Amino acid sequence: MPETNGHDAPRVGFYVCHCGHNIAGTVDVAEVARFAGTLPNVVVSRDYKYMCSDPGQELIITDIREHKLNRIVVASCSPLLHEHTFRVATEKGGLNPYFFQMVNIREDVSWVCSDHDAATNKTLDLVRAAVRRVAHHRSLATKHVRIHPDVLIVGAGISGIHAALTLANAGKKVTLVEREPTIGGHMAMFDKTFPTLDCAACILTPKMSAVKNHPNITLWSYSEVTEVSGFVGSYTVKVKRKPRFVSEELCVGCMECIDACVYKEGKTPDEFNQGLSKRKPVYIPFPQATPQVVLIDPDTCIEFKSGRCKKTCVEKCDRDAIDFTQKEEIKEIQVGTIILATGFKTFDPKRIPYYGYGKYPNVYSSLEVERLVNASGPTGGDLVLRDGRHPKTVGIIHCVGSRDRKTNRWCSRTCCMYSLKLAHLLKEHSEAEVYNFYIDIRAAGKAYEEFYDKLLEENIHFIRGRVAEVTDWSARPEEEGKLIIRVEDTLIGVVRRVPVDMVVLAVGMEPQADSQDVRRMFNISCSTEGFFLERHPKLAPVDTFTDGIFIAGACQGPKDIPDSVAQAGAAAAQALALIDAGEVELEPNTAYIVEEDCSGCKSCLNICPYTAITRDEIRQKAVINEALCKGCGTCVATCPSGAIRQNLFEDDQIYSEIEGLLQDKESVLTGGGAWRAPA
Amino acid sequence: MKLPTPPAVRTAENNSPPRMKTVTRRLKFESELDLSFGEHVAERAYGQKLLSCIQCGTCSATCPLSHYMDYTPRKIIAMTREGFKEEVLNSLTIWLCASCYACTVQCPREIHITDVMYALKREAIARKFYPARNPIPVLAKAFFERVRHDGRNTESRLLITLYLRTNPFKMLKEALLGFHLFRTGRLSLKREKIKGMKELRNMIDSVEPRKEAVPL
Repeated sequence: MPETNGHDAPRVGFYVCHCGHNIAGTVDVAEVARFAGTLPNVVVSRDYKYMCSDPGQELIITDIREHKLNRIVVASCSPLLHEHTFRVATEKGGLNPYFFQMVNIREDVSWVCSDHDAATNKTLDLVRAAVRRVAHHRSLATKHVRIHPDVLIVGAGISGIHAALTLANAGKKVTLVEREPTIGGHMAMFDKTFPTLDCAACILTPKMSAVKNHPNITLWSYSEVTEVSGFVGSYTVKVKRKPRFVSEELCVGCMECIDACVYKEGKTPDEFNQGLSKRKPVYIPFPQATPQVVLIDPDTCIEFKSGRCKKTCVEKCDRDAIDFTQKEEIKEIQVGTIILATGFKTFDPKRIPYYGYGKYPNVYSSLEVERLVNASGPTGGDLVLRDGRHPKTVGIIHCVGSRDRKTNRWCSRTCCMYSLKLAHLLKEHSEAEVYNFYIDIRAAGKAYEEFYDKLLEENIHFIRGRVAEVTDWSARPEEEGKLIIRVEDTLIGVVRRVPVDMVVLAVGMEPQADSQDVRRMFNISCSTEGFFLERHPKLAPVDTFTDGIFIAGACQGPKDIPDSVAQAGAAAAQALALIDAGEVELEPNTAYIVEEDCSGCKSCLNICPYTAITRDEIRQKAVINEALCKGCGTCVATCPSGAIRQNLFEDDQIYSEIEGLLQDKESVLTGGGAWRAPA
Repeated sequence: MKLPTPPAVRTAENNSPPRMKTVTRRLKFESELDLSFGEHVAERAYGQKLLSCIQCGTCSATCPLSHYMDYTPRKIIAMTREGFKEEVLNSLTIWLCASCYACTVQCPREIHITDVMYALKREAIARKFYPARNPIPVLAKAFFERVRHDGRNTESRLLITLYLRTNPFKMLKEALLGFHLFRTGRLSLKREKIKGMKELRNMIDSVEPRKEAVPL
């Protein structure tokens, strides 16, 4: 089979696909095939029921051989779906795959046109344009980029931890970066997990220490990614390591320095306990924190504020781990793929003032209650309210901040189930009468409905209705000293006033406050609500629009632990697939510099959105990194001397396509007449 | 000059102008409820798990009489569970239940709703939560007395007891029908009785302790 060099006289094979009724139901495909046969250069013109099927592709392959075709045009669906299929068929027939052009007459024509004649006419224009264009196609080589085998994982909650362990167990080197002083994320704060009620710490801490001890994992806690550059297979990442003022190598986490601190009692709200307890300037978030290293908060430490502390902590530490001179460090690493598992934040219930959070001390957020019922929490698991009482009645308000156009429109998916879990735990801890106020119970998950069923039989009240307000205004003597929940019991059809001692607000899940900054840094997209956007909601749930960057866990959308872990595993598998392939194929639609025309004016340098263009200072010319170039064409249009061109979008190709499109619309070309855009 | 009358809103069936509805309080204070009522009823309905009701409304949709009820069976369960004792025991629903068991057959949570209705009826009888001349509890009671006494139900005697206790005038109204039934041998005045009355009483006493429902 002779490999054509593109300079032979073009011999075009044209194929129009029926796509069942999708196209043939609107477009007269027989007419399209007849018309294409009359166009210059077209040697073969056919219509076929399903061009993407094996016989359809075989048609192209045999025609290339029998009719010595050197150009192929297929009019069918979107190139996103089958351009690759037909390029492969073209290649199998013995041609360079880029001697192929696709015309989208389904998404662009048949699905959006109701007038059959207009649809057929538009198809004819598009076909004529493609046949014209394909004559100018050139032979191109597919480019390959090597994939660096190391992986960066950002965020060490349960998703990041699981992805890191999966990759490390497969023998890949992983750098796990966590912003907080300890890994574990939100899961480390939880008491029990639904629906099995196993203790969160019991199932999480073994994974946390596995991360710490794994030879393939470099764990950087208390660190943040500050800069990302590069492209799939070769990312350069800068990580800021914040100073702990305690040496990670020397500290063994004996915590004697904490006891020795000149502060007898903690003065700063403890972040890990949601401010329900106080910590000292030298602290460790929780007993099983990983790495088990204390840290010093320079904002509250006397030594940092006045320099005149007795430094009893230093005296006490026999390993000399405390180092007040520690400085912030910037580390640079090379990785091939990145997994983002940056998690979520909980909705701030202060945004709904009528629920009284921050106003009435006995109104709690659900995360606070997780700490309150936790045996290692601020009260050691004793359910004691802020005013020192033990609650006899508890009201749990569902959907706080969720399913509300004024705050967050989405369902946070986890609140129903964790509210059920908290209801069970609260009843277990206090024998209190527990009320759930819900709009709908969404218990869609393995063994979730059964858990709901169990809770119903535990005599926990389920009142269907969205709570209107929480108030301390009592209408009757027996309501005095209580928080009154006012709600319509929509199942019974009556408005009720339920007096309770404690209110739990089941707050929803939101994107992290800095998710937009992270998105920009990693050059990925966010959906409107701010969660990271997956490449396809169903078929590519962990990929992003940037190759080599994957997402896992609640940073992509509200998710519970099983789903986060499953997604983390999927992200790890996608990263592994890239690494083990060793290299990726790149679309050759990149821009290139015609050096003799380049004046070195630097116009293109700053406009490139992918920072793919640099300037060779010696030769005074622009240089395009093909691996970084995404083929957007911005530089091509910007270059004042026309020195930048783009593969598959050469001027002759684009002009011939336009001419083909407008051929029988002379009036447009001459600037007059009543030509109207095709329907 | 006569002023034009303002157009009144009229319904299809009722051609008279609408009347203002009475304004009643529909707010429920928690102290008006009896939180143990649900469990109490469940215990008396053979341990029925009415707490596990998911309020799907299948019972109300299958019930052939629900469209005459003041509260549908689903609502009765929701109210029982939440302790709306007065409303439930005063409701017409429990007396309209004809024990057809359609709800029980279809309930996805396998709640024996008919048994719940019986438990509620017993509760209402024990607490005299029904109009004195409501024939349904009177009939039930009279039927049980007859069977307990004779081992069989003599229908003529049951009817006479029922009418005497509820509406004696109605007996006169139905006298002609009774006569026809008597003439054709459908209704006998002869008292029917079984032989082993002692054994039957022992049996009844063992399954139905005489205490009835204990008032709350």
